[in-house]
Order: sequence, then C-alpha cells, then structure tokens
Amino acid sequence: MKGKARKALVVGGGMAGLEAALKIGQAGHEVILVEKEANLGGTALLLSSTFPKWQDPLEKLNLKLEQLKKLPAVEVYTNTEISSCTPNGSGYSLTLRNNLTGEETGVEAQAAVLATGFDYFDARKYGEYGYGTYPGVMISIEFEEMLREWKKGLKREKAPGAVAFIKCVGSRDRIKGYPYCSKICCMYTARQAGMFKELFPQASCYIFYMDYRAAGKDYEEFVRSVMEEKEVRYVRGRPAKVLPYGGKLMVRSEDTLMGVPIEVEVDLVVLAAAAVPKKETLELAKSFAAATNQHGFLEPVDGFTAKAGTRVFFAGGCGFPTDSAGAQQQGAAAAAEVIALFNQD
Amino acid sequence: MAREKWKYLVKDFDKMVDTYGLAGNLRQCLACGKCVGDCPAASVSPSYNSRQIIQDVLDGNQKRLLASEEIWHCLWCASCYRACPSGIYFPMLMMQIRFRAVEAGFGLKYFQTYQKLALKAMTEGMTFVPREKGRAKVEKLRSEMGLSPWPEVSDKAKSEYNALFEMTGSKAWVDSVANKPEAPVDLNYSKGRINLE
Amino acid sequence: MNKKRVMSLEEKLPSVPEAIYLFRSCTGTLQYPGVENAIRHICGLMGIEVIMDPDQTCCSGYLLTCSAYLPEFSLAVTARNHALAEKRNLDIYTFCNGCYAYNCEFAHLLEDQKTRDTANQLIGRFGYNYQGRAKVYHVQELYYRLKDRIAEKMVYPLKGLRVAAHYGCHYLLQEGVIDDFDLPTFHEEILQALGATPVYYTERRACCGYGVGKVFTHKEEVVLPHLLNKLSSIRDEGAQLITTVCPGCNVAMDREQPHLSQMGRGEFQIPVIDLGQLIALSLGASPVKLGFNANTIKLDGILEYLGIDKGAQV
Repeated sequence: MKGKARKALVVGGGMAGLEAALKIGQAGHEVILVEKEANLGGTALLLSSTFPKWQDPLEKLNLKLEQLKKLPAVEVYTNTEISSCTPNGSGYSLTLRNNLTGEETGVEAQAAVLATGFDYFDARKYGEYGYGTYPGVMISIEFEEMLREWKKGLKREKAPGAVAFIKCVGSRDRIKGYPYCSKICCMYTARQAGMFKELFPQASCYIFYMDYRAAGKDYEEFVRSVMEEKEVRYVRGRPAKVLPYGGKLMVRSEDTLMGVPIEVEVDLVVLAAAAVPKKETLELAKSFAAATNQHGFLEPVDGFTAKAGTRVFFAGGCGFPTDSAGAQQQGAAAAAEVIALFNQD
Repeated sequence: MAREKWKYLVKDFDKMVDTYGLAGNLRQCLACGKCVGDCPAASVSPSYNSRQIIQDVLDGNQKRLLASEEIWHCLWCASCYRACPSGIYFPMLMMQIRFRAVEAGFGLKYFQTYQKLALKAMTEGMTFVPREKGRAKVEKLRSEMGLSPWPEVSDKAKSEYNALFEMTGSKAWVDSVANKPEAPVDLNYSKGRINLE
Repeated sequence: MNKKRVMSLEEKLPSVPEAIYLFRSCTGTLQYPGVENAIRHICGLMGIEVIMDPDQTCCSGYLLTCSAYLPEFSLAVTARNHALAEKRNLDIYTFCNGCYAYNCEFAHLLEDQKTRDTANQLIGRFGYNYQGRAKVYHVQELYYRLKDRIAEKMVYPLKGLRVAAHYGCHYLLQEGVIDDFDLPTFHEEILQALGATPVYYTERRACCGYGVGKVFTHKEEVVLPHLLNKLSSIRDEGAQLITTVCPGCNVAMDREQPHLSQMGRGEFQIPVIDLGQLIALSLGASPVKLGFNANTIKLDGILEYLGIDKGAQV
C-alpha cells in the first residue's frame, strides 16, 4: 500500500514525543502531535539544569522546536487531550478536544505513539517525613522550581542554610510504595544538590541514600564531582523520621557506614518522590489496547522494545522513568517502529 | 576491631531463629537503616543496632549474637516494623532470638527476672502484682474510690490460666531454661561488640 | 497517611455500642484503678453498659514479649478470653495499648485454621469454643466517636490547659486503627473539643520505654535515658499535663519523674493521667472517684487551675 497517506498520532509533547514526531515527520509521513499543556516540552520545561553536562535544558528543547517548525506535515495541538479513540482495522479514529476552547476535532491515524511521561508519588503516604504537614518538606520537582528562581537571581534571601535530600521516597518500598527503583532520582538528586551548593557554597547539604545509581556515560564522574568538588555530604542511610524541632526540621537516620544513629538539623527537606505512571496513561492504554505492567507502565510486546499493541507504540516515562537522553532515544526507537510499519502497509 | 572468621558462621541460622514464621522474610532486608534512625534503644545504647542484628542472623553469627548483651535492649516499640520498607516484623525476630539465647544458657539473669513475674502471674491470673506493701496500697486506693479492694479475678480464671500454662508446654519450657547452667561468655567483649578470637 | 493500615472511624465504629466487655488491664486495675471509674462515668453518661468479667485473665502478651512465655500459651489465653466475650455477644474494649495490641495480634494469628484448631482443642477442655466473632477495640476510639456528645455535657471546660498527648506505641502499630502511626491527631482533636490547648512536641511519637521488661532489667541503661529525652521534649513545650491511653505508659511517665529529676536536667513535675480520666474530670466526675491519689506526680495544681475541689466525693 505504498504511496497512501500515512498519519501517526503522537500523544505527549515532551522529549520522547517530540523526538518521535520529528523522526516520523522527517521520514516523510504526517504527524498529529497532541499536548495536554499550553507548551511543548514536558518535564524539560521544569528543569533548572541537566546531567551529566550541566547544560540549559531549554537549549536542546528549542533546537527540537526549531526542527519541528520546518515540518509542515506535523500538526501540533496544544491544550488538547484525546476524548475518544476507536480502533478500526487499519488504525484509530479519534476525537481531540481542546480544553481551553472546548473545540473537538475528528482525526484518523494509522499508528499511535504514547509518550505521556510520568507523575510523582504522593509523598503524604510517608507520614514519617511529614510532607503536607510540616512546612519545609517538599518533593524534588517542587525544589526544582526554587532552583530555577535562585538561578535567575530571584528570592536568594529565602535560601535555606541547610538542606537534606532523602532518596527512595516511594521507591524500593514493598509496603507503602512501589518495589521498583525509579532510576532517575540518584542522578537528579545529585544534580539538584550540586546546583544548590554551586549557588550557595556556604550552605550545608546532605543526601541520605541507600545506594547511588549512576549507570550511564559520564554519570559516575558526575556524582563523584558533586560529592568531591561541590562538597555535598552523602550519608548512607534511609531516614526514619523528619521531626519539627525549634522551628527547623530534624532528620533522624542511621549512618549505616558508621553503624550509628544520627540526627541532623536542616531548614528544608527535599524528597525524591518515586516516578509513577500517570492515571491518564492507564486510560489511554485501555483505549488503544496497549499492554501495561502491574504498576501501570506501558509494557512492550514480546520481541519488541517500543511496541505495546497492534499499531500502538510508546516512548519515555510512560514506559518506565527515564532521563531526557533515554526519552530521546526511546522516541527515536518508537519512530523507527512506526516508519517500518508504514513501509510495510 | 578484629577480623570476623567465617568458620563461626552457622548455615540456616535464620530458620533456627524464626521458628514461628512471624518476622517476615529477612532476605528482603535492604540494610537501609530506617529501623535504626528513630529506634529508642539505639539512641541511648552504644552498640544496639537492629540492622546489624538482622545481618548477624543472615550471616549465621549464632555464637556471637546469642551471647551478646545487645539483644536484651529492644523494647518492642516497633517503630522499626512500621518504618521497614520490607515489612520485617523485627520485634518478633528479637523475641525469638531471645528464646534461642536462653535455651543456649545466655542472658539467664534477665530471664530469671521475667520468670519470677511469670510465676507470680500464675497465682494471680494477673501480671505485675505487687508484694505485701504494694498490695496494701492497692487495696487502700481502690477502696477509697469505691471499687472492690482487689480486682475481681475468679478462681476459675486463675486455675484455667495455670492449666493452659502447663498444657501448652510453656511451663516445661520455662522450667527447663531456668534450670540451665549459665553459659560462659567465652568471647572477647570489646566495647559492647563481641569479637571472635 | 498510609490508607491501608488506617480505617475511618465510621468504618471501625459505625455505631456506638449499647454494652461493652471492658477488658481488665492488670497494670490499669492495680496501678491506676481510677481509670476504670472514669470509663464507667463516661459510659454511664452516654448510655453504654460496662461489663467486666472476673473470668477474664491477663492477656499474657507482655511476658510473651519478654520471651518468658511461648506463643502457644498466649494464643490459647487469647482464644479463651475472646470466647468469654463471644458467649455474651459483646465486643472487647481495652483501656491499655498493650492489651489491645496483644489481643489484635493473636486474634490475627488465630485466623489460621490450624492455629485456631490447636487453641480450641486446649480451651475446649474447659468448655470454651473460640469462633473469632468478638472484635477488639480500644476505649480511645470510643472517646473519639463520642467527642461531640462529651463536649456538650462538659461541666468543667479545660480553660486552655496545655495538654501533651502521648499515644504510645502499640495501638497505632496495629492494622485497622483510626489514625496514622506517625502523624495522629485524634487525641488532640478530643483535647480541643474539651477546651484544652493541645501541645505538639518533638518526641510525641516516642515510646515510653517500659516494654519487654526493660524497666526491670535495663532501667538505668536504656529506659531512663530514653524517658529523659521524652519528658524533656514535653517540658520544653510548656505542657501542664500529659495524657496517656495505656496504664503501662502512665506508670513509666508518672512514676519515673522523681528519678528523672535526679539526672541533671532539672526537675520534672508534670502530672500524667489517662485520657479517659481527663474526659471524666471535665464531665464532672469527682477527683476522689478518679483516684488521683494513685499518681506519683500530684494533680493539685491542675485541679486548682480548673476550679475543681480535690476532695469532692461525688
């Protein structure tokens, strides 16, 4: 069926979705790129810096957006979600709804790439850390906003004198959270702490960890430089409690490498909340008949890495938490699958 | 700190300890230390460390663990149990480590204190019953408040409590332990952490 | 809040019972017998019949945790006590965290058929049959359920009295309790309803230290240093009174204060009473009936503050 118009739907305009849309578009096919928020970019829009090279996250994003502009066959719908999806023999019949205007558009696509990203664990489940009860306890993505402001030179007087990062909040927890490792937190926590010390060298900064996972190109060196040059103090122990003490916060943990319980007084506690599947992803998976695992992440069909069902593919955080390099790679992999599929049609 | 020697390790020691299957799967322990962070015993005892005790059990450090002082420090607040991301019921493990310890003749000075309380409980159907002076105080207090001078516990209750103590083999077990000779602690006790020669 | 372990009050206690099987606490009835009267006073006002059973024995849990009993004994004892309550078609209400925990734990273990059969074989010789019908509650849940009705019937509102609540370890530890293990607030809500000022202190979730016989064998080594941290934290926040829901905790925090005062961190003079006693006091129960003579740290200052005559008999 060569020569027939082929259209791919890409759901999610973050790094993974952008890459998929670009590659499918550059291969000569039509793409509908649907993004729930007002702007394309996903998680990249929220970041203050990147690892392992300490770059500006918007640099790479803007590059991608420039490339996108050169592809008129890629239609971008922002503020838009999928309101209905019906698989037909050769693809999907869909309704897109613009959440601002209420306008609905009917479209047809012969393949779909789900790239909806991930959400964050509800840290209130960890009563021992007091998130939602004690002011001064926040999750990583909330701290990221503070880093962006401080980087711009804003609100510097509000900077804390001491910060403690707690990793694995909701990850590696069979009882209150998810048994899996969220993969990216060790790296982004090092980045956040390193950036914080870069901005405020006199402040105290602790990272409480069980392990630090830096399995990537330049990743180990990155974490070591945060420890050695930025002087972030890593303490091996999963904290037992965060308690209010004299207007500050006290973190009680064991330093397991020393074998002694310790307590550390800080102004701010940042929790690396587990990366969890979004609820919308599960709903989309049902509509597109895409396979998911027991936690709600999209699951590849046997023998494939990006294919979750007939004519539906996935990339990025909706398959499993990933960093931005991984999201890009997976977006390209999903695009390759779509292009191959279209070639065979 | 002396080098630990593998020849002292006992295979499957964890199965010898958790005979009632109440502690959960110790191999799920991540050694994260969350159990120690807010442990009241660890906060005041120089060498008490619940994470290390689990490691000792898994390694099979029978000789050192059962002879140690640390195993008598846990007070069952169970903050460790509620903190544990693997759901290990640590106090239940401690209870059974102590069973093994007294069965091997260690810690009898502590056990004998509890045994006295247990025997008293048998005659009264209640635990922590005070002796004569305390008893008189209780009777006076209760009468003042318009209560019976002594809590009403029927003879049936006391006799059945006693009978069950015997029928379940608890009495025989307690007697056998109490009559054991105190095992000599033949290890170097270095600053609260026993090192093997 | 971990929702799996916590259930709503409505789910746990959908309706106020007409009668309760009040589980006799050994430490409670011997050390602070006034708590019994407090419960009777509160239940009397709320139209709840309180039944105590001379045939009920100690729950046996404490000495089991001391490794002085074997679990088989405690399982049989629990089955027997529950069978007694079942015979009367009543649910068990404890006023001790320990009794609550041990009754719950063993009832949970007795859900296993083999364990249950073994227990029933033993207690069957005395004519009992355990069916697992009796549910286990703690009176603190009842107080929370009745909070608003209690507030309506107050005779002595607590005039902003600064009260530090001590929840203890063993109730909140269990599955199916009405608040979070780390961040509970229902005692403070009750205190507020009574007109008191709840005091939050750093060590509010710390243990009292009296578990597993440590008070008998490791008092100076473990219990007192730990209690010192706890009581210091309470004193730092300026609490005038401490409430407990466990006679064991009450003994720990009340009777040890003179010893703590010798440990170089100043004097400790904060009275410690059961939450039920405080509620009954505000409902007009007499201090004599509530048995404050049993307390090591006297309540004279508190009674004066509240305008209650300490010698009132009725």
